[in-house]
Amino acid sequence: MPAVALEMNPGKEVPLADSVQLADAQAPLESTIKSEVIRMYQEVADRPDQEFHFYHGREAALMYGYDPAWLDRAPAGAVASFAGVGNPHERADIQPGETVLDLGSGAGLDGIIASWRTGPGGAVIGVDLNPSMCLKAQAHAAASGTTIDCREGRMEDIPLPDASVDIALSNGVINLSFRKRRVLQELFRVLRPGGRISITDIVSAKQLSQSIVNDPKLWAS
Amino acid sequence: MFALLEGAGFTKVKSAVVPGFRFRKGSTQSAAESFGVKAVMMTARKP
Repeated sequence: MPAVALEMNPGKEVPLADSVQLADAQAPLESTIKSEVIRMYQEVADRPDQEFHFYHGREAALMYGYDPAWLDRAPAGAVASFAGVGNPHERADIQPGETVLDLGSGAGLDGIIASWRTGPGGAVIGVDLNPSMCLKAQAHAAASGTTIDCREGRMEDIPLPDASVDIALSNGVINLSFRKRRVLQELFRVLRPGGRISITDIVSAKQLSQSIVNDPKLWAS
Repeated sequence: MFALLEGAGFTKVKSAVVPGFRFRKGSTQSAAESFGVKAVMMTARKP
């Protein structure tokens, strides 16, 4: 899910505090951004044959090092709608029996792969802004013989109790939020002590122009 | 992002650039490069 983003990396050209304050100041745009994010990624899911400005589907997954065997095994719809920016499984080291959160679960490919790792003794919980994407993810999981418990929700308010997750995955999602600090605080909250995150995302070394920040289409895409 | 993770309480924060990431459209890739946009993978742990 490639998108422009505010980087908050100290030592770069954008001081941390300035970026955070700018992001917080954009909070009123959030509802507009939410609608645009839903529209954009619904389009990827509904019309994966389209060409977008970012790579998606099997081509993208192979580019980021997904095992071709995973892509052959997963439902075609989940693979075709993949819109990640990397491979969070590469360093996730998911163990059998673990509870996995897939934040921004989309059409379900990452959740399905995680469910193969956790096995029947574990659980995969997806969270997505778009309830219809949750239905797709759950249908794709069922088609692959596994289960994803997908919940409609925002990454800034993850609909899970404290300390309920062993590992959180996210792939190209956090950059879409104006409140990245809040998202990371939420991830910290839902993780059990000793829990971990494995995320892939887009960052920028420079402050984005105000015209980009204020444009929901540019932010979402 | 690295600092935000530490600020949230995470430890053992590690990051690496996603090799091969790029935008499909040349115009988008050029704009992204002008802002230093890259894809990264990050891992961290809750103590």
